[in-house]
Order: sequence, then C-alpha cells, then structure tokens
Amino acid sequence: MTANPTENDLRVIAEQVWSSYLDVDGSKPLLPVPAAKVVVDVTGSVSVTGAWRGHVLVGCSDGASRNAAAALLGIELDEVTDDDVADALGELANIIGGNVKSLLPEPCALSLPHVHVEGEAGRYPASTEVCKLNGTWLEESVTVSVLESTADFAEASAT
Amino acid sequence: MTPVLTMVIDDSRAMRLILKRIVAQLGFDVVESANGKEAMDYLAGILEAGDDSKLPGLALVDWNMPEMNGLEFVTAVRADQRLRNMTLMMVTTESEQSQIVRALASGAHEYVIKPFTPDAIIDKLTLLGLVPNGVAV
Repeated sequence: MTANPTENDLRVIAEQVWSSYLDVDGSKPLLPVPAAKVVVDVTGSVSVTGAWRGHVLVGCSDGASRNAAAALLGIELDEVTDDDVADALGELANIIGGNVKSLLPEPCALSLPHVHVEGEAGRYPASTEVCKLNGTWLEESVTVSVLESTADFAEASAT
Repeated sequence: MTPVLTMVIDDSRAMRLILKRIVAQLGFDVVESANGKEAMDYLAGILEAGDDSKLPGLALVDWNMPEMNGLEFVTAVRADQRLRNMTLMMVTTESEQSQIVRALASGAHEYVIKPFTPDAIIDKLTLLGLVPNGVAV
C-alpha cells in the first residue's frame, strides 16, 4: 500500500478505539469539530520509521486527557494523576499509531510512545501534516494527526 | 472451567488493567509484568524455586515494550522446555499480516489486534480451549 492515510482512515481508527475503551456503551462518541475550536494541552506520539517516516500524534485538552485516563484505568476523575495521563495518552498513541502503520508501506517499525504536556506546536518542524482529525469528546478537545518527515530530514538523519 | 494463572505483559498500566479485568471475570488469577524482561525474571524465579505449580498457564503479551519486546519474550519462552506448557497470546497494535505470521512462527498460539473488545479476547481463549463455549463477560 502506498497511499497516505486520510482523515477518514483516522476517523475509522478513532471510532474503533472509542467503542473499545472510551465509549463502550456508545453514549459518549468522539464528534468532529472545526480545527479552530481545538485546544491541545497534552500530546501522545509515536514515530514510524522504515519505508515511511513520520509521526502519529494524539492531542488532548487537559480535560480530555484526564477523561481518557479515568476511562482506561476505571477510576474517578479526581483520582487521576499525571502518571495516569501519561500512561493513557501513550497507549492511545500506540494503538492509533499501530493501526495507522498498517496503512503504510511495509516494512515500518513503531517507536515506543512519548507524551509531552506543552502541546504539539513546533515539536515536529521537519514534518508536513498528512491528515488530521479534529474532535470533541465530553465537550473537550481531541485531535489525531499524521505527520510525514520531509526528505531533507531523512537525509540529514542518515548522515 | 479450570482457572488459569495468567501473565499480562504490557508496558501500559491501563492496558494491563483492561486485560486483567477481562480474565479476572473468568476467574483467572493474574500476575502483571511491564515488559518481557520483567516477565522472564519472574518465570526464572519460579523455576529456580522449583515450584512448577506456580508457573502461569497463559501469557497475554504486548509486542512493543522496552527492554525485551513481546516477540523476544515469545522466542525466549519457546526456547525453554520447562515453559513448554505455557500458552502465549500476542495482544498488540502490530496488525500487518507479516507481523502476525512472524509471531505465530516464533511460537505464539494466538494473536489479538488492539483495539479489542472483551469478546475478542474470550473468543481466542475459547479457541485455545481455556474457556468453554458460550462464556461472556
């Protein structure tokens, strides 16, 4: 497969993740919203290397990240710690990234997840956005995006 | 149904908890490990103590983990005759056919792709003969 993933691919993957772990009874779906309304405070990411190079990012507002941790860990919202948020966002990035990887040319490898709290802006300067899904979940922001590393970056890394 | 001592090996605490909830509802006891090396160290301790009755009968194994990944763990378990009765099921985001074939060729008995539902896990355990037909959680 050689085509880049699309926003619709991300929507399908996100729906599978939400129905499996975050919205099991179907009452709290991830809803699409315009990009301008999205706030990102915490980002979980995985990198893809090999025949395709880039990153898969799951960005959340602080509230969404805490909602995700509470749902995945089965705990109350006021019990959620920063470690819980890092674990939950990392696993969401891992699951979504792994499913994105299955759409990319083989062979590719997935990195371990990385979580950072200051948002995603400027973190991946040598990349271009391939597709992005902007959503709201429990009235909090969630984004899923795929960034492809530029050729210049790949060449620079190889030297 | 005979409860099976189950090892859940995943670097995500949330994922270990999700899997633990599913198998605990089947009456299975669970031990957790955060990576393959930690799991192998646990197994080595039991083997050294000579109490094979405490060996897990089932391991649910993530692929991408620090220190020792799931494929390395499966290979290490399969290389040790003393662990030949352990059933190994990969539970991972690695969903390409080539990766599934690789894991099964290395000795994994079954393969579940994340995200999964509890039914997907139960169905595989039923196929492995560890859970009777018709059980749901």
